[in-house]
Amino acid sequence: MESERSEENLIQIKNLYLNFYTYDGVVKALDGVTLNLVNGEILGLVGETGCGKSVTSLSTLSIVIPPGKIQGGQIWFNVKGKSYDLLSLSEATMRRIRGRYISMIFQEPRAALNPVYTVGNQIGEVFLLHRKEELIKSTIDQIKKDLARASNLKRWIYRRELFLYEKMLKNPKSFLIKSASKIPIIRRFQNRVQNEARKRAIEMLKLLNIPDPGRVVDMYPHELSGGMAQRVVIAMALSCNPFMLIADEPTTNLDVTVQAQILLLIKELQKKFGSSVLYVTHDLGVVAETCDRVAVMYAGNVVEIADVIALFKKPLHPYTQGLLESIPRPGEKFVSIPGTVPSLVNPPKGCRFHDRCKYALEICPNVKPQLVEVENGHMVACHLYTEGK
Amino acid sequence: MGLREYIIRRLILLIPVMLGVVILIFVISQLIPPTARVALFVSENPKQMKPEVVQYYIHYYGLDQPVWVQFYEWLKQVMQGNFGYSENFQEVVLDGLIKRAPATMEIVIYTAPLILLIGIWMGVNSAVRRDKPFDHFSRVLSILGTSLPSFFFGVVLSAIFIAQLRWVSSGRLSYLLGGQYYSMLKDGTWHVYTGLLTVDSLLNGKLNYFVDAIVHLILPVTVLVFIQTATMVRVTRSSMLEALSKQYIVAARAKGLSQREVIYKHARRNALIPVVTIAGLIVGGMMTGLVITETVFGFPGLGNWAASAAQHFDFPVVIAYAIFSAVVFVLANLIVDVLYAYIDPRIRLG
Amino acid sequence: MESKPQAAKLPKSRFENFKRVMQPRIKEIRFIFKRIRESPLSIAGLILVSYNLIIALFAPVLAPPKLYNPYLIPRDPELGFKIDPSPPSPTHPFGTTRLSIDLYYGCIWGTRFAFQIGLEIIGATLVIGLVLGMLAGYYGGLIDEIIMRFTDIILAFPGLILAMAFVATLSRAGWNTLDAALLSIILIGWPGYVRLIRGEVLRVKTEDYIEAAKASGATDLRIMLRHILPNSIYSLIVVVTLDFGGIVLTAAALSFLGLGAPPGYADWGKLIYDSISYAGQGFKYWWVYTVPGIFIVLFVLGWNLLGDALRDVLDPLYRRK
Repeated sequence: MESERSEENLIQIKNLYLNFYTYDGVVKALDGVTLNLVNGEILGLVGETGCGKSVTSLSTLSIVIPPGKIQGGQIWFNVKGKSYDLLSLSEATMRRIRGRYISMIFQEPRAALNPVYTVGNQIGEVFLLHRKEELIKSTIDQIKKDLARASNLKRWIYRRELFLYEKMLKNPKSFLIKSASKIPIIRRFQNRVQNEARKRAIEMLKLLNIPDPGRVVDMYPHELSGGMAQRVVIAMALSCNPFMLIADEPTTNLDVTVQAQILLLIKELQKKFGSSVLYVTHDLGVVAETCDRVAVMYAGNVVEIADVIALFKKPLHPYTQGLLESIPRPGEKFVSIPGTVPSLVNPPKGCRFHDRCKYALEICPNVKPQLVEVENGHMVACHLYTEGK
Repeated sequence: MGLREYIIRRLILLIPVMLGVVILIFVISQLIPPTARVALFVSENPKQMKPEVVQYYIHYYGLDQPVWVQFYEWLKQVMQGNFGYSENFQEVVLDGLIKRAPATMEIVIYTAPLILLIGIWMGVNSAVRRDKPFDHFSRVLSILGTSLPSFFFGVVLSAIFIAQLRWVSSGRLSYLLGGQYYSMLKDGTWHVYTGLLTVDSLLNGKLNYFVDAIVHLILPVTVLVFIQTATMVRVTRSSMLEALSKQYIVAARAKGLSQREVIYKHARRNALIPVVTIAGLIVGGMMTGLVITETVFGFPGLGNWAASAAQHFDFPVVIAYAIFSAVVFVLANLIVDVLYAYIDPRIRLG
Repeated sequence: MESKPQAAKLPKSRFENFKRVMQPRIKEIRFIFKRIRESPLSIAGLILVSYNLIIALFAPVLAPPKLYNPYLIPRDPELGFKIDPSPPSPTHPFGTTRLSIDLYYGCIWGTRFAFQIGLEIIGATLVIGLVLGMLAGYYGGLIDEIIMRFTDIILAFPGLILAMAFVATLSRAGWNTLDAALLSIILIGWPGYVRLIRGEVLRVKTEDYIEAAKASGATDLRIMLRHILPNSIYSLIVVVTLDFGGIVLTAAALSFLGLGAPPGYADWGKLIYDSISYAGQGFKYWWVYTVPGIFIVLFVLGWNLLGDALRDVLDPLYRRK
């Protein structure tokens, strides 16, 4: 698996436009978002609430919550030597990608889990969805073992189960299997493969350092603490060893100590599995700790992309500078960026930050700045760097 | 365990409520003078009894004693099933109840599942296809259902189908078969197994009676179902919309589940949990609806019994029906509450 | 919610103060109307309710009363005591029903009657509900328990049935059926309101401005009236609107069972009760059961639609607070 991943960009988002059609008007939420995720890195996506970072990450999975609608752009997914535009793929194909090649973890872990199903059930669901063949094969092996040392009555049952599972392997959508799964007593044959899924769930829980996984696997989400729940969500996301993990503010709602644990865990697992991570957050501290590169978003645009050290040492975009200045430091006065985020229903024609920018030029309100590379790997969308260069 | 404590607590709460119910009825009945109130105790028509006999019964059942003694005496009788005598129907009240219960049961057995199935199906699909034609259609239907008085609907239907088109008669069976039914009952050729005509007719091997009984059930069931389903659809729809807006739905899609699986496997189960709680209210609404519906369609059930009695101020029957309904209603709500606590793991496991 | 505090400017008079407090409310009312105008169903509800209101108010003009009690429907002397209904005609726009009772008169005054009993019943149940609900929610403890048990007992009966028992028994004891019916509906209605208001009080009780009011020495009554009540009003408005239709429906049902308005009264349910035997003759006397029914439906539908609309509008407003 490792050797197949190249050094190029895993994901390239190009000019993504997205609108929300609401009662109060058309919200132009994403205004030509462009960014790339390099293979094996952790990319931070920073911005304040409402800047469009969550929407961008959801769009990568082609999940757009109505009343939103993607207006244009491409999202290139480069894997196994081929490139796919995720926005042009069919829903059926996307379903094969979600949870398997690209996974997502969420902000409030207990809200991301269905309260009426057990942890094991929900992790197992991912296995049953994407790795069913493996599970069926293991089940068949198990049945064969059972057959060897079973009594006559059980033999009869097991042979029927074996028959069904082999059929399932060959043709899972066959009428026989579909109807068998609906008839009350007969459908209990599915217990076996669900058991296999449960076993895999326990393995995943172990991987995430959850104590006593055999017990936790049968618990319900509301019985878990925030940190545990988030580990469960991460377990679900990593079940199929995805190429990319999208982490949408996974630690925002957790206690600080737990936050540190989870961050560490994510870093470890990322190294272990070799996945690339898109880490969406508004917390610059987390970015400094965890990420390799950072993309800064403001009001639906990516305004700056850079190496994490370069960004903190030498922020180029006025907004980024403002962000870094406004981090409270003991002994210093509070600094904040004056003004507020513009209305996205009637956004300014040019740069969306111009009315709060102390370096605004004449051109800024009229022409939208494009992302250009200023230094090695450091990109900015600001007229300051395209004019007198 | 959360659940066990919950059940025990609810069962214990039941006692003061039932006591209160009985007390309330008792208080109401006190408005009637003792000479008439004797009807709540005796097994013959008090109007046809000699005054001395009436006085005897007044003394025997303690109607001349202080209030708490009266209550105790009356409660004793009620616990034994003695609800007195119905002047209107000329029969012992308890007999009247038992005689008419099967007819009502028959309506309920067909109405309840229909309400559940149609209501949930429409509610879920309405939420899923929000603001599309199906949604508008079902919302209009449910608004109509809550605004249409059941008696008006019933009268109109009976005017059309019973009176004008003559496709069906009122009551449980058509005139011809109904008459034959009674004579068969008398001479024993018809064995009563359940009292439900639809079941008994099959068990007795008389298919034409089965068809007749079903046909006569169509109108009353339709009226009841239409009115009650309206509420069911509304509640299910709003509950489903609530469930669909939750974060775990997005998370489920991010796992790769299809929209269909997400709706039916994840959202629906959560949405149905609050819907369970209104099932109790639906039972209550049905009992009220039965009174009117049976009256309109001439169905010889408990509802008709109570309505007719009320019209003629035959209080023993009305009181008996009130107690009966309260018991059923309270039990139904208890079952519903326990069910709710059971299926929601957040409550079951504390 | 109080209006934003003004900077040290004392109000010139109580009227100024009143205007200042009412400003946000007026804005809210305007907003409510604007939102109602956006939905066709809401507009329909508003129209229906207004139409019913107008008929009720102008009943004496639309159908001049002829008897000592305007709610008693007069009979046409020309038709004499003809028992069977007559079809619609110029003198009788909706025809007549049993015993030559004019349906037009009956339905018009029926509207007024519906409003009258509706207001009486809602008024009574509201008052009882407010008082008991506030007491139960605010003081909690034993008072709460007692009041709750009483509501539980009454709510243990499915709606109409307790009312039926009540009316039957009271009538047997000599009461007028109409008075008995009114009393019964109030009896089965107040627990619902108690629960609702109690719930609201409990919700509002924990808000900070209540603590502030207590700290500044306000009496319990003042807190209940000036702080808790205005903030509970939204859900109350919705429920009252929806209930207005429901109560009239219940009253009509009782009349239909013979337990409501006395004979000859202008009450829709009673008119349908009178029509049952004629319904048994099919379409021959269609106006006798159709017309009162349509009046009922239009009335209840109007209130239901309006109530729904108000709920859709007030809910987000309510949550925003």
